[in-house]
Amino acid sequence: MQMFRGVLAGLTLLAMSGTALAVTEIRITHATTGGAEKEVLDQIVADFEAANPDIKVVQIPFDDDTYSDTGLITQLQGNPVPDIYFQWAGYPVARDANAGYAADLTDALKSDGWGDTFVPSVWSAGAGTMVDGKPYLIPASLDVTNTIWYNKTIFAEDGLTPPKTWEEFLALIKVLVEKGETPIIEGNQEFWPFGNWASHIAAKVVPPEEYAAAFEQTGKFNTAGFLKALNHIQELHTIGAFNKDMAGLGADPAMATFIEGAAVMHPIGSWLIGTAKELGDADFDYASFDTPVIDPTHPLKDSVIGTVTGWVVHAKSTHQAEAVRFLKFYTNEANQIKRAEAGSLSPIKGVNEKANLDPQTKQMAEMLATAPAMVPPPDTTYPVPVAEAYYQAAAMVATGEKTPVDALVWLDDTVAVIGKQ
Amino acid sequence: MLWFVAPAMVLFGLFVLWPMASAFYYAFTKWDGFTAPVWVGLANFQRAFADSVHLMSYVHVVLYILGTFVFEVSFGLVVAVLLNSDRRGFEFLRGLFFSPVVLSMSAAGVLWAFVLDYRSGLVNALLKAMGAGDLAQPWLSQPTTALIAITIVSGWKYSGFYMVIFFAALRRIPRNIYEAARLDGAGPVRMFFSITLPLLRQNIMVAILLAVTGGFAGFDLFFTMTNGGPFSATEVPATWIMKQAFDQNQLSYGIALTVILTIVVMVVSIVYLRFSERVGVARY
Repeated sequence: MQMFRGVLAGLTLLAMSGTALAVTEIRITHATTGGAEKEVLDQIVADFEAANPDIKVVQIPFDDDTYSDTGLITQLQGNPVPDIYFQWAGYPVARDANAGYAADLTDALKSDGWGDTFVPSVWSAGAGTMVDGKPYLIPASLDVTNTIWYNKTIFAEDGLTPPKTWEEFLALIKVLVEKGETPIIEGNQEFWPFGNWASHIAAKVVPPEEYAAAFEQTGKFNTAGFLKALNHIQELHTIGAFNKDMAGLGADPAMATFIEGAAVMHPIGSWLIGTAKELGDADFDYASFDTPVIDPTHPLKDSVIGTVTGWVVHAKSTHQAEAVRFLKFYTNEANQIKRAEAGSLSPIKGVNEKANLDPQTKQMAEMLATAPAMVPPPDTTYPVPVAEAYYQAAAMVATGEKTPVDALVWLDDTVAVIGKQ
Repeated sequence: MLWFVAPAMVLFGLFVLWPMASAFYYAFTKWDGFTAPVWVGLANFQRAFADSVHLMSYVHVVLYILGTFVFEVSFGLVVAVLLNSDRRGFEFLRGLFFSPVVLSMSAAGVLWAFVLDYRSGLVNALLKAMGAGDLAQPWLSQPTTALIAITIVSGWKYSGFYMVIFFAALRRIPRNIYEAARLDGAGPVRMFFSITLPLLRQNIMVAILLAVTGGFAGFDLFFTMTNGGPFSATEVPATWIMKQAFDQNQLSYGIALTVILTIVVMVVSIVYLRFSERVGVARY
């Protein structure tokens, strides 16, 4: 009997110790697979687990394209669902909220004044983090989705300075062409890299109502405004601004070619900074300038194109409290400083000022802080098939496949076939 | 008897019939994979027949299949005839021609994308080394050259497969037929057209059927080398379906395109099998 009691006591102790060591697993799916940003994410996860031994964080990473094509769609409907997932602000967040995947984070953001730690602009109507006045996306990064990166060494060798107007930009490209350089490298196999820039060019010359109407399918693309935008793109093609293999080159090889110094300029987003840290030589010296002013009378002449990216808590997650705990840790000042120093602009108040930013990230921060307006990329704001069709039409003009007029006719025909989205 | 086939029937029903039936249903809906599907009747099919890229994808796949007749079937046949010998070294050569077949299609696509790269590819480097730098082209970035480049790479990959089929058949042709023809004064070309080709007719028909059905299913080489580009110049039904369904989150439209592709391949296969039965090379 005594032996039986001893065994029972032992088993009880074992069960109790098991309870004490019970670990909640939270699953987080995202599209960060490498570079300085991934190193920081891994570090944040490790620090969080050390500070919260009752929570284990499991990362489910996908490369960027796989994540947006099939990775997220299958994860969202899987079992178990990811507790936290990466998302782009705007159209995807609204869709997820309406479909019941995204949790309303109003209460979480009110607790401990968490919501007040973010810069107020991320909670504005145009930021794409809110749906019907309720927050669904915890901003993690402010991304400039297109700026024109340039090789400072080549610019200095040729006595060039960043242009302030479109005419200066064209003149600069002509100089580079005469010197036998590849002025602009584009890897546009997937259409979005140049499409982002082409939509910023359009946003700077097309009347805003006309621009929105076309992408919302309440108006046409074949307008004087869009014709003007595509004419500017044709100017670039005519003077030989782009690499010959633009249409077939991937986005990553194009970025690598720029970082290797084989091309002078590369229009792409602020995420180039993280890749340059990983791939660039120590003496690779680069900076950026925004698309120069094209129409001085246009209300968005000085705008930047960018978006907010961040994290959504799955509405069906059974560990929402733990997920919020992780996100509060992720967005605390110390961790955001680490992320900013790795090249991600922080949406948390004061972080970008306190962090020891590299010159390029600092430039991005200043660009965002001083820009009078931010234009979101069409593929995160409007129906994707319509945005893609515009991207393709712009690419046709950039490579000389179609004239601006023909491209706009093709574009309206294509959007008509797609039907109302 | 029913119990005996029940497990197979259940598996077939679960993994073949049910997915097919549900795909057929989704083809008549508007569904992005995220939200609930909405019944739209024939709208996806009407769109498919107005979608110029979709229609052109069938033109591209037909051109690709015609190319495979030349670069895979015909080239495989010629190589099989030329290497049909027991002399020293021929076995090694046959192995060499067959070796690309064992490589994965995706790996072959990535490899050739590097070889054909505009800036650092082997082809352009060779042209420059030979003093013909003006001929260097962005092979995979031009609508005029991308499809032909893929067709040639496909030939490099699969001609060895057809070579093996034809080589095995050649070995079954009695040698005395050739000896008799030689005694009658026939040369190698005459013997090829009068003896070899007619006696390989059945194998050629099978090879063509494989090339046609394989061509319609073509995806990985197109995906890895050009992803349907530039400007849809190498878009084939499978790449266009992938783009619509997943890149643009239009799953129901992608499914409708898949239903159309299934019907097209079924019709082509049935017509071909009927034809081969009529000409007497096969009986089903």
